[in-house]
Amino acid sequence: MQAIKALGAVAPSNLLSALRKGALTPITDQVRQTHLPAPDTSEKRPYSPFQKTTNMAEYAVARLDDLLNWGRKGSIWPMTFGLACCAVEMMHIAAPRYDMDRYGVVFRASPRQADVMIVAGTLTNKMAPALRKVYDQMPDPRWVISMGSCANGGGYYHYSYSVVRGCDRIVPVDIYVPGCPPTAEALLYGVLQLQKKVKRMKTVQIWYRN
Amino acid sequence: MSNIAKFLALDKVATFFNIIKQNGGIRGSLFKLYRQDELKDGTLVGEDKFGNKYFENPRYFYGRNRWVEYSDKFHMNYDGSQVPAEWYGWLHYKTDLPPHLDPNRPKYKWMKDWNENLSGTTGQYTPYSTTRPKIEAWEPKSKSTV
Repeated sequence: MQAIKALGAVAPSNLLSALRKGALTPITDQVRQTHLPAPDTSEKRPYSPFQKTTNMAEYAVARLDDLLNWGRKGSIWPMTFGLACCAVEMMHIAAPRYDMDRYGVVFRASPRQADVMIVAGTLTNKMAPALRKVYDQMPDPRWVISMGSCANGGGYYHYSYSVVRGCDRIVPVDIYVPGCPPTAEALLYGVLQLQKKVKRMKTVQIWYRN
Repeated sequence: MSNIAKFLALDKVATFFNIIKQNGGIRGSLFKLYRQDELKDGTLVGEDKFGNKYFENPRYFYGRNRWVEYSDKFHMNYDGSQVPAEWYGWLHYKTDLPPHLDPNRPKYKWMKDWNENLSGTTGQYTPYSTTRPKIEAWEPKSKSTV
């Protein structure tokens, strides 16, 4: 406790005042609204994240959402958008050892039929308009996986004159996969995390209110 | 006699029935196939405190001969990060000694319990900056509302 107080005295006053004014509240509020409560390690976890339904209609829309999300998460088709060396690892998850096909993930070379775009590699200024164009051509619902340091935040080329410092400046990103390059395992874990995210989408439920 | 059985691949048939038996009959095997997409037989090496069970069977190819069956309470929400650090090394062939047989594992009372990846829940890690920002965003002065 003493140490914490001492640290507080040392910290710059503008930081403390910013925290006191609520610099973190937008983040924490957003997390509170869009995220599920942290799971209890001792409790049995149900399949559906939508458990607290109060009446028949709410139950019905929750189950419809479950069905829709089950279909969506079982057939996530990525758009092949290999930009640099990360693309080699992206090829690996398609190969027999990691075999993304067992999760229903199949590369689709056309944005019109794709669900997710895996941005694999350095996004340069020259490529950025093309990336945005391809993203705009994808039908809703669509997701983006940013793969590797370069796509996450510029990475090694952060200070280059010709590189976009993170593909989230161009498109909204759902999953960031760290690594330089990330292993195929890491990318597959990212896909599984995206499946988790798809599982708690409320497509039908937002049309119902009591 | 056993040679003829082997020639007719009857030992494979025996293995198949053994796998079905070990996974709890036909219903149990179908449930395992639904949950894990895989049906294997193996010896139970150990269990961690979350209820995950660790198996080994050297008959399978290296890389597939050690595996984890996640605790029943995770149901379909299992995830690679639910394997605690003690078992990670054994599962990934960093060591052949499982944690309960290895006397050289560090055990301190300040060591925290294993925690799974909580991304997407309220327990997730949210990064924040502790340094003063180098740039200042331009906030245009709002025109007076009067």
